[in-house]
Amino acid sequence: MTKLETVIQPSKFDAVKDALIEIGVEGMTVTEVRGHGRQKGHTEFYRGREYTVDLLPKVKIEMVLPDHLVDRAVQAITTAARTGKIGDGKIFLARIDEAIRIRNDDRGENAL
Amino acid sequence: MSTAPQPPESPPSKLPIATPDFVLRNNYRHESQRIQRDFEAVGSGLASLSSRTRLVDSLTLTLWEQCFSRLDQGCSLLALGGFGRSELFPYSDIDLLFLTENEACGEPIKPAVSSLCQTMWDCGLRVSPSVRTLADCARFDQDNLEFTLSLLDCRFLSGDQSLFERLHAKYLPQLIARESDALLQSLSEMTQSRHQRFGNTIFHLEPNLKDGPGGLRDCHLSQWIGMIVALSSGHRDLVSVRQNSACGEMLDAMEFLCSSRCYLHYRHGRDDNSITWAAQEELAARGIATGAGAVSPAEWMRLYFRHAKAVYRNSSQLLGQVSRERSSLYRSFQHWRSRVSNAEFSVVDGRVYFQQAADAREAAPVLRLFTFMAHHGMALSPEAERRLNDAHSRLAETMPQDQYLWQHLREILALPHAANALRAMHSLNLLTHAVPEFETIDLLVLRDLYHRYTVDEHTFMAIEVLHRLKYEKDSPLQPFAQLMAELEHPELLFLALLLHDTGKGLEGADHVHGSLQLTTAAVARLQLSEEDAATVCFLVANHLEISSTLRRRDIYDPATIRELAGKIATPERLKMLTLMTLADIKAVNPEALTPWKAENLWRLYTRTAGHFDRSADAEGLDAKTSADAVEKVIALLPAPPSEVLKFLDGLPQRYLLSHSPEQVAQHFTMAASLAAEPVQLRLRPNSGQHELTVVTYDAPGLFRTLTGILYAWGMDITRAMAFSNRGSVVVDSFYFKDRFRTLELNPPECERFQRSVREVLTREASLDRLLESRLKADLQPVKLTVKTHLRYDDACSPRSTLLEIVTQDRPGLLHTISSILTHEECSIEVALIDTEGPVAHDVFYITCHGQKLTAERMRAMEWALTAELADALPSNW
Repeated sequence: MTKLETVIQPSKFDAVKDALIEIGVEGMTVTEVRGHGRQKGHTEFYRGREYTVDLLPKVKIEMVLPDHLVDRAVQAITTAARTGKIGDGKIFLARIDEAIRIRNDDRGENAL
Repeated sequence: MSTAPQPPESPPSKLPIATPDFVLRNNYRHESQRIQRDFEAVGSGLASLSSRTRLVDSLTLTLWEQCFSRLDQGCSLLALGGFGRSELFPYSDIDLLFLTENEACGEPIKPAVSSLCQTMWDCGLRVSPSVRTLADCARFDQDNLEFTLSLLDCRFLSGDQSLFERLHAKYLPQLIARESDALLQSLSEMTQSRHQRFGNTIFHLEPNLKDGPGGLRDCHLSQWIGMIVALSSGHRDLVSVRQNSACGEMLDAMEFLCSSRCYLHYRHGRDDNSITWAAQEELAARGIATGAGAVSPAEWMRLYFRHAKAVYRNSSQLLGQVSRERSSLYRSFQHWRSRVSNAEFSVVDGRVYFQQAADAREAAPVLRLFTFMAHHGMALSPEAERRLNDAHSRLAETMPQDQYLWQHLREILALPHAANALRAMHSLNLLTHAVPEFETIDLLVLRDLYHRYTVDEHTFMAIEVLHRLKYEKDSPLQPFAQLMAELEHPELLFLALLLHDTGKGLEGADHVHGSLQLTTAAVARLQLSEEDAATVCFLVANHLEISSTLRRRDIYDPATIRELAGKIATPERLKMLTLMTLADIKAVNPEALTPWKAENLWRLYTRTAGHFDRSADAEGLDAKTSADAVEKVIALLPAPPSEVLKFLDGLPQRYLLSHSPEQVAQHFTMAASLAAEPVQLRLRPNSGQHELTVVTYDAPGLFRTLTGILYAWGMDITRAMAFSNRGSVVVDSFYFKDRFRTLELNPPECERFQRSVREVLTREASLDRLLESRLKADLQPVKLTVKTHLRYDDACSPRSTLLEIVTQDRPGLLHTISSILTHEECSIEVALIDTEGPVAHDVFYITCHGQKLTAERMRAMEWALTAELADALPSNW
C-alpha cells in the first residue's frame, strides 16, 4: 500500500477528483490548505495599499491506495492538474505498513 | 409528577413470580412485537406509548416483587422522565428512582436493585436507575438539572407509598418554591444552549425530532415551566397543569411528534430521532401522523415544520414570559425598549402591539409594523399575531395592490433586523402576499449534502449574514463589512437575495434560470425602475458566477480576472455579487464558509476591483462590443445614430458600463446643447446625497475648478467620475454630501449654486474669491488616522499614467490634489474618486502634454503631493 499526498491548485480539484474516481479510487481526504513552494508569494495592491501574499490557497488530497493503482493515480493527477505553470503542485508517495478498518477490524488492502 | 399513584387504564397484569427469566424475556418480547404491530397497523403514537408504558410497568412490578419481597419497607420505586409521564418510546431509557428514607436504608437494597436492573437489561431495556434519599431529592444541584426536572414527572410504581407522598406533598413543592428562579434560569440556559446547537432554527433539512428547536423536548419544556410556576404559586394539581399545556395546536403537535418518533425508533432500532431523508420518504409513504394517508416527502416535511413552528413559538413565548416576570434586569431592559412605542405601535415586554385594532386589516400599517420590527428587532405580540391571522384573507387582497409595496419592502430589507421581520411575515403567510414568487420555496426541503436548512430559511439566513457583517470584528469577514457599508443601494442586493433561489421550487434542473424568470416577474410587479430591475436580475442570474470562478478557475491568472470583470461590468455590481456570494455560502451551514474560502473570495474581489481601476481608460468604447447598450441609447433619442456614435467616440468602456442608457442619452442631449449654453448642468438628489453632472468642453484645470467650486460651497465629494470624448466634450459626475444642508434647507440656493458653477466655468466669477471664505472656515486641524500612499502605474494604460492616492479624507482634498496636478501641467483623462469613511481613494489617469508622465515629472509631482498632503499628517509621519 502507498499513501499519496497531493497538493494542487484549488481550481483543478474537480478535474483531479473526477480523474481519480474514473480509475477506481474510492476514497480520499481533502483539506483546504495554504502554502508555497518555489512559487513563493507575490505583492498585490488594493486601493493603493500593498499586500504581500506569501501563502497561496491550495487543496491537499490524501489517499492510501493498493500498489497496483498507484501509477495510474499519479498519471491521472498529473494529467488533470498540470497547466505547465509554476504552482501546479506536488505529489508525495510513502509506503504504508498497515491499514485497519475500525468498524470490522479488516486489515491490509481489504481495509482500503 | 402525579398527585397520587396513577392506576394505568387497565391494571398491570403481574407476570408469574416464579417465571424463569427467559420466560419473562419472551413475554416481554412478544408483547413488544404486538405493540409494534398495532402501531404499524393504526399509526397512533400516543396509544403505542401508553401500551408500552403498561408493559414496562408490568415487567417492573413483577421484578420488584421478585427482588424486593424479602426486604423491609423503607424504599419506594418511582418512574421518572418519559417513563414517569407514561410516554415510553420503544427505545427510550427507563428512568427508575429507588427512593429511601435515609442513607442507612439505601445500603441493604443495593443487591436487589442490581438484580432488578440486570434482568431488565437482559430483556433489552436500557435502565437508568438511581438510588436517592428524600433529602437528596430535596436538594437542587445546578450541575444535575435533569434530575430535578425528572422529579416533576415522577410516578409511583411500588413500595413504600408514604415516602412518595412525602416527596410529592412536601419535599418537591418546597424545593420548587425555594429554587424556582434558579431552576427557570438553568432551564432557560439549557434550552438556549440546545437550540444553539441546532443554529436556533427549526428549518433543518434533516431535523432532530426530539432535541431540535420545535421538537418534543420543547413540548416538555412548556410542561415543566407550567409545573414550576404552578408549584411555586402553591398549586398542587400538576396533572391538570400538564394537560392544559398540551391543548389545541400543542396537542396536535404532540400527537404528530410522538407518532413520528415512535416510527423512527422502530425504523432505526435504537433511540435515534433524526428525520433523515430516507426516513422522510418512509414516513410520507406510510402516511405516519398525516391523518390523510400517504403524501409526498415534501408535504410531510411541511406538516412537520408547521407543528414544529407551533411548539417553538409556544416554548419561546413561555420562556420569555418567565424571564420577564422574574428578572428585574430583564424588565428594566424591556421597559427601556418600550420607549420606542409610537402612535401606531406599542411595545410591551419586548413585543409589538397595534395601537389601533383596525390597523391590522390594512396593508400599509401592517407593512409599517414589519418595518418597525426590522428596525427595532422586536417580536410580534401574540395579540398582534392573532389580529393578523384574522385579517389574513383581507390582506391577501389588499397587500399585493398596495401602490407603495416596494417602498415598504425596500425599507424592511435594508434595516438591521430584516431577516427576523421577514421570518415573522412568512410565518403568518404574509410574505407570499407581498412577494408571491417566494411561495415556491415555502418550507422546501432539497436534498443536498451541504445545505442544512430549508430553502426559505437559507434565504433569510443569507440576508441575516449581510446585516450582521458590521459586527464581525477581527475575523476574515471584516473587509466585507466595509464593502457592505459602501453599497449605494443595499436594498437591491437584499431583494436579489430574497429571490435568488426561488427557482429551486420549480421543475427543471437549472434553478438559476427559474429564479431569473420569477425575479423578472417580481421586479415588474413591484415597479422597480428599469435600472434597479436590471441590477436585481443581473445579481440573480449571476449569483453562482463568483463561486464557480473560485472553484474552477485560477484566480491568480489575469485572464480569469479579465473575464470575470467583463461579465460583471461595474465595480458596484462586483461589490454586490461578492457580498451575495459570501452570504449564499455562509447560509448553507455554519461551517460552509471556512476562513480559506473567505480569504479566496476577498482575493478574487480585490484583484477584480483592481482590474476595474487599472483598465478604466485602456479600452476605448467599442460600439460593437457594447452594441446592446448603444442600441438602447439610440432608441431613446430622436437624433440620428451617427450623432450618438460621434458623442460616444473616445469615451472609455467604463463610461458606458457605469451609466444607464437613460443617463447616457441625457448626457448626449446636454452635449448637443453646448452650442447654445457652454456649461450644461444637472443637479439631483441621489441616495441621501446630491449628484451634479457637468457636460462642457474640456479646458485646462477644469476638474480642479469644479472640485474648487464644490469645496467653496461646503460640499463634501464622496465619489466622482470624469470622462472625455474625442471631441473634447467632458462628462463629469460628482456625488457629494451637503455638509451644511444648504441646498436641502434653502431650495432657492440650488439655482444660485448652479449659477455659481456656470459663472466660474465661464470665468464670469472668480474661483479664488469664492474659495477665500471657505479656506478660512476650514482651518481647523484634521484628526488624522490614515497614512498617505501614492503609487504610479505606468503599464496599465497605453496612453496615460495611473496615479493612485490613498489618504485621509478632509474638506477640499480633491481640490487640493487637482490643483497640484494642474500646477504640474497634467491633464486628467479619467478620474475615479471614492471615499470610504475617513479614507479617500482616488485614481487618476493623467497625461502631460498628451504623453505619459516622465520619471522626473512623477518625482516632482510626488514631492508636491506628499508635501501638501503631509501638512495634515502628524509630526511622526
